[in-house]
Amino acid sequence: MQQLANLDGDSRVQAKAIEVSRLSHVYAGIHGEVLALEDISLQVESGKFTVIVGPSGCGKTSLLMMMAGLRSQSSGELLCHGAPMPQPDPNRVGVVFQEASLFPWLTAAQNVEFPLSLRADPKAARRQRALQMLSLVGLDGFADRYPHELSGGMKQRVSIARGLVQDPQVLLMDEPFAALDEQTRMTMGHELLRIWATTSKTVVFITHSLTEAVYLADEVLVMSARPGRIIDRIAIDLPRPRTYEMMASDKFGGLRERIWQQIRSQH
Amino acid sequence: MLVAALLGWELIPRTGWLPELFLPSLSNTLAVLVSDWRIYGSALLVTLGEVALSMLIACGGGIALGAIVGGFARMRNLLLPVFSSLYAVPIVILYPVFTAWFGVGSESKIAFAGLYAFFPVMLSTAAGIRTIDPQYLVAARSMGATLQQQLTRVIIPAALPTVFVGLRLGGALAIIGVVVAEMLTAAAGIGYLVTLNRTILDSPRVFAALILILMLSIVYDAMTRSLERRLLVWQPVKRSPAARPGSGLSASVSAA
Repeated sequence: MQQLANLDGDSRVQAKAIEVSRLSHVYAGIHGEVLALEDISLQVESGKFTVIVGPSGCGKTSLLMMMAGLRSQSSGELLCHGAPMPQPDPNRVGVVFQEASLFPWLTAAQNVEFPLSLRADPKAARRQRALQMLSLVGLDGFADRYPHELSGGMKQRVSIARGLVQDPQVLLMDEPFAALDEQTRMTMGHELLRIWATTSKTVVFITHSLTEAVYLADEVLVMSARPGRIIDRIAIDLPRPRTYEMMASDKFGGLRERIWQQIRSQH
Repeated sequence: MLVAALLGWELIPRTGWLPELFLPSLSNTLAVLVSDWRIYGSALLVTLGEVALSMLIACGGGIALGAIVGGFARMRNLLLPVFSSLYAVPIVILYPVFTAWFGVGSESKIAFAGLYAFFPVMLSTAAGIRTIDPQYLVAARSMGATLQQQLTRVIIPAALPTVFVGLRLGGALAIIGVVVAEMLTAAAGIGYLVTLNRTILDSPRVFAALILILMLSIVYDAMTRSLERRLLVWQPVKRSPAARPGSGLSASVSAA
């Protein structure tokens, strides 16, 4: 596989999806400077599903915002497919937020089209693409509904469709299922894996739920409390496609326990 | 209920319960409205013109200033309390000042009503902009929206419902402002007709003018509400409690 990768002349395939080198971030707090992130270095392989867990306030959302180009770091380097992210680039990176952040004055399809309409793509093509994405996330027939008519899970599906509409190489997700009840969460996690399997994108996913982390991830990165550092990288070598039954296995429990121990040692 | 009120209007003066001077019968009032329709028509046009121009000032200035004050935290903290307090002052008492500055013609009425209507428009625009969920803008930025796109595609649609409430109230105040100003000093317009006929104790003509004013307010309110409904079709509809027993009154109120 390594030789094949070397033969491929496309540098985007060879470059890591995300590469963070010695990134630190300081911001001005009320009582002086606050070190939010300390010397973070990590790499995310293209096409992998990486989950970041860590205590509240550890800076994982800030880190994700930097990967999205929505915030800049104080020092260190962050590259996405070999190039820095000084500002958002929806062609490279799509973002799904915890609050679906759908615009209530637009229908589901119009919300999904929104990034395309910012670029003034032709109307028919936009609509076509939006319907395609809605179908992918399992919302056929809901194109002309308004957000207030949709359940929490459905709103997040629209949000995911919107994140994918410009076919970015990387999808960043900041606790997207946190506001959903547990059953919906499990269903959505499973759905997400299905969607991911058909699109082979790189996903970076933040969650507080350790079960969710083990269930979804290829690799789990554990962050410390503030100032946030990467304190462990845990490879999840459960077979794919993941099934609900795996959650009952000893291996699953062991991995989950390992993450929990790491986080507990912080306190 | 409306029928009962109209019936009462017709019968009470006729039976002598209230003298015709105080409450002219409905038929007399309507008859006068029909016979003098040219006078009333041209007066209505004058009034409408003044209302329209004052609304232009109120909306233009109100939205612009509201956007600035609402959009910038420092401006907001400094100026919003000032404007909110000014709103509480009964501006009607300032009308004589306006006649001193602008004379007794249309200009003073337009300026006065413009100021009167300015406040609700400005305050609701500021509120509309202040209460926009900042996550919308983060999401828009993540999708590559420029600053201008954030303004036109996110901020304006998000603030619109609140601004509209202000516009509805502003229009109502503009109508009141113009009519009251016309009542005080004018040579044309509906308010002027009220004063003129009051002075000569011609009650049917006074009430005919009042009916027109009432109609004007009702039509304006109905128009803006239907416009709101069409533009803001995405708002969640508040379910009326009509299904619950014993809530007849609240049902009819919420259905209004």
